[in-house]
Amino acid sequence: MQAVLISELKPFLDALTQEMELYVPRMSGTHYVYNRYDASAKVPIEFNNIRVCTPVKEFLFPLRELAAVYPESFEPNNIKPFAVFGLKECDLRSIEILDRVFKEAEFEDPFYVARREKMFIISSDCTRPADSCFCNVLGGKPFAQNGFDLNVSQVKEHFVIEVGSQKGKDFIEKHSGLFTKTTEAILAERDKIRIETQKQLEHNNADLEFDSPVNEIVENSQDSAVYDEEAKTCVECQACTRVCPTCHCFYLYDTRQKDYFAKMKMWDSCMRIAYAEVAGGANPRKALGDRLRHRFMHKFSYFLERYGLDMCVGCGRCVDAEAGEVDIRKVLKKLNEELKGKDKTKAEAAK
Amino acid sequence: MKRNLYQPINGGIVDIIEESPTIKSFVVVPEETFRFETGQFVELTLPGIGEAPFTPSSSPSDTTKMEITIMKAGQMTALLHDCEKGQKIGIRGPYGKGYPVGDFIGKDVYIIGGGVGLAPIRSLFLTLVERINDFKSVVCRFGAKTPDDFIYKNTLFDSWQKIDGVDIKLTVDGASGDWDGNIGVVTTILSAGDVDISNAVVVVCGPPIMMKFATMKLLEFGFGPEQIYLSMEKNMSCGVGKCGHCMIGKYYVCKDGPVFTYEQIIGYPNIWD
Repeated sequence: MQAVLISELKPFLDALTQEMELYVPRMSGTHYVYNRYDASAKVPIEFNNIRVCTPVKEFLFPLRELAAVYPESFEPNNIKPFAVFGLKECDLRSIEILDRVFKEAEFEDPFYVARREKMFIISSDCTRPADSCFCNVLGGKPFAQNGFDLNVSQVKEHFVIEVGSQKGKDFIEKHSGLFTKTTEAILAERDKIRIETQKQLEHNNADLEFDSPVNEIVENSQDSAVYDEEAKTCVECQACTRVCPTCHCFYLYDTRQKDYFAKMKMWDSCMRIAYAEVAGGANPRKALGDRLRHRFMHKFSYFLERYGLDMCVGCGRCVDAEAGEVDIRKVLKKLNEELKGKDKTKAEAAK
Repeated sequence: MKRNLYQPINGGIVDIIEESPTIKSFVVVPEETFRFETGQFVELTLPGIGEAPFTPSSSPSDTTKMEITIMKAGQMTALLHDCEKGQKIGIRGPYGKGYPVGDFIGKDVYIIGGGVGLAPIRSLFLTLVERINDFKSVVCRFGAKTPDDFIYKNTLFDSWQKIDGVDIKLTVDGASGDWDGNIGVVTTILSAGDVDISNAVVVVCGPPIMMKFATMKLLEFGFGPEQIYLSMEKNMSCGVGKCGHCMIGKYYVCKDGPVFTYEQIIGYPNIWD
């Protein structure tokens, strides 16, 4: 793939803002969040070495949005081109997952599709994964491999910008004056950093080894007591599903405005008690443990069966956001141990 | 251009029929031609108030209007009960997969219903009797709390019972006065000899507890789980398999159902809750 060099980010980001709105990471407390980029502001540009705290779904499937207006019909319009800088490989994989749901041929979500078409994706390499990051366990990498328009890697005093799409290529060609050629040596250095980060991740997650594929471990946990045990510390804050970049539950509700009626679409959470409740009070998942089980089943089994990929990218955001002590890695580990025990018992019985 | 999938079709309520003390049928006319298959459901919007899923109770062959029978069970249904003729509404759908009527051809169709569960069943029943000769028989076993709680009384107690090829038995949980039929829950009027089990399908629709016990009874009789069609009415919100509220195991009830064979859902927890 084509790659170019630039020695500072500002001219590159400024050029982007000539064509579209741009969102960049900014450290807030201990986490990165996204802010609108202002080329005239004198604030330093931050290169996030780890994922931003908030999930990328916010850009495509906002917390709350207008879904329909009546009696007049309403279609998405006025969605302007926008760019997001500093997305990580886990974010790109989460977009792939959301695409399966919202771009499904039979039932396309027109608002998601409109935003997705206008989105310019600038990913960047991770160099300092958090303790909670476990993407490598689920097939992820600390650098993007596809799904981006441009990808930025920091190599000493340089930034390597790799082209990932026609849109990205057009941008680089249009602004070719900003960039210089890259060299084999710099690309080799970039690859070295990538391998080091990958090793760091593997080291961090060395104790997260499974004896069977994750989907099999979870599929076999339908009757497991692990969920009830693990859910004991859950306080139903729903933070895990909010920060999850792949969770996409929502609910529709109707409102009365001054001169029209509107149908709104808003994020929801399968961990909420009344989530599946129907009129009359019936509820298939009254117990917290049942809701936790459903969440795991959906992520690692049901979604895989329907769409061909896991609904977890191993970003660890839910681990960081957790108010209780539910840790997705710990739950998977316990389920793995349980299945191993079952298999052992079966094998012994077979003897 | 494709319609925004969250955008309802405009329509209005043209008539309201009081079926029982807690149940009304609403005759709804969409402003556009609206086709559905029996057993599919629609999302009915009360503008500015809310939206809820209902399965039409009329025959799909009428494409100019449909009937939706609604029990007062929660906030939205209570507000619908307060509506009057002329009320503007919105309709999204139809959604999901209905009854596979084609697969019922040549068989005994055994229909078990309770309470407001007779609503989707009425749509199926009307569809079946339009081509009654295609089926070996249509055997209905319906229950209600009291005789007054039966819906579609005018036809159910009268003309439906006279249709050739149709056999109807009714039961109530309790009755006073001139009820000369059976008293007991619906499973008390089921008998293994009602249909030829080796060449029959069963359709069950009613309150979850009734569906559960009817299913258990049918299995005792020797029906296979693949012969039993259940209407799983869950919290369908988006209607298109995205929002997640109606999931039973891997299934989106809105998209993969709302009609499932017992075989499909047998392994999942709490299906009757």
